[in-house]
Amino acid sequence: MNVRAHLAATAAALCALLAPASAQATQLTSISADFSPLRLGSPTALSLGFDVRTPDGSLPSPLTSIDFHYPTNLGIGTSGLGLATCTQAKLSFDGPKTCPPNSIMGRGSALAEFQISPEVSEETAEIALVAGPSQNGYLKLLISATGDYPVAARIVMSTLLLPGQLRIEVPLVAGLPEGPDVAVVRVKVTIGGNLTYYERSHGKKVAYRPQGILLPKRCPAGGFRFRASFSFLDGTRSEAQTVVKCPRA
Amino acid sequence: MRVIPKCAPVRGGALAATMLGLALQPAPALASRTLSVRDEGSLRFASDEATQIVDEGSLSGTLPGSGRVYFTYNGSPNVTARFTIHTSGGAIYGTARCRLNNPNSPVPSFRGALRIVGGSGRYARARGSGELFGVFHRRGYGLVVQAIGKLSY
Repeated sequence: MNVRAHLAATAAALCALLAPASAQATQLTSISADFSPLRLGSPTALSLGFDVRTPDGSLPSPLTSIDFHYPTNLGIGTSGLGLATCTQAKLSFDGPKTCPPNSIMGRGSALAEFQISPEVSEETAEIALVAGPSQNGYLKLLISATGDYPVAARIVMSTLLLPGQLRIEVPLVAGLPEGPDVAVVRVKVTIGGNLTYYERSHGKKVAYRPQGILLPKRCPAGGFRFRASFSFLDGTRSEAQTVVKCPRA
Repeated sequence: MRVIPKCAPVRGGALAATMLGLALQPAPALASRTLSVRDEGSLRFASDEATQIVDEGSLSGTLPGSGRVYFTYNGSPNVTARFTIHTSGGAIYGTARCRLNNPNSPVPSFRGALRIVGGSGRYARARGSGELFGVFHRRGYGLVVQAIGKLSY
């Protein structure tokens, strides 16, 4: 082997060793997180999002699960969100509009892609975050995604609000008959925010806006860290993280 | 008239040894009391630190006065509380580990073991144990608490 060939082989081996895990995966992912308002010690709405793409722009493999980690010092349990519950069956059959208003914890949207050979078609779905009946003492979050056209479908996912963690199993959704499953490529949801709850006061039903997630008075060193691990049908995994920087004092 | 000392005079070394011996003896133990306590109250939200709610209010029962509770709920059903009871003659400090039930309810209840870990004033040596019961108002962050236990001080 001459020197040039040896260098090339060494460089190739180094590249293989140093390549980030995400580059080896078929899917590339990124996540976003934002507080509105970002004011320490105040109630806030938390927006979370993720994107899935492939290096060559082709259709990603369908997502099968997300393991989402958020700071444990966020007051989601003390948010006053989810004061009523909706069952998974009701949410699946009738949609979030038939659930009690006090069970709605947030909203969002998703973008899915599926193959209609030879083209890739898109569909937007509405997402509702709904409180479900608690399980083992933990708050349960039901996530419904409803799309109308071109594929009419509603899927409901269920997860427990563990301290600092959300693990969501994503069911496969068939695209067109005989076609590949739908691939979720973008999701953005907001927990809290512009919600209307109702309470009884002096015998009358009174509307109010739930307080939302309580932010701690002190910002963690380095900011509020979020990370997520994604699993795909093709067996690959991808990880992503983001940080919400501390506000200026 | 000559005054006769009541105690026989002792030599200097013996006196010093006696005084040292007295000094090294433990202070006479204060008579401790044990009390069955049952206190309760509706506490109002005072402040928060994200997952921790601080509530204050008046307490009635065996040791009437005022109370402050630091109630921590991070989404796990295992909640914790630190509390102070200010009552006549001093304060009593305690902790509790409780289990929160039906967390989706607007007013989930909790119940668990409490420990009295200290105090001030006449309760400076307070120790004890018992149970803490309560409900947590998720809308306004108020707490209704009831503490039942044995207190030694």
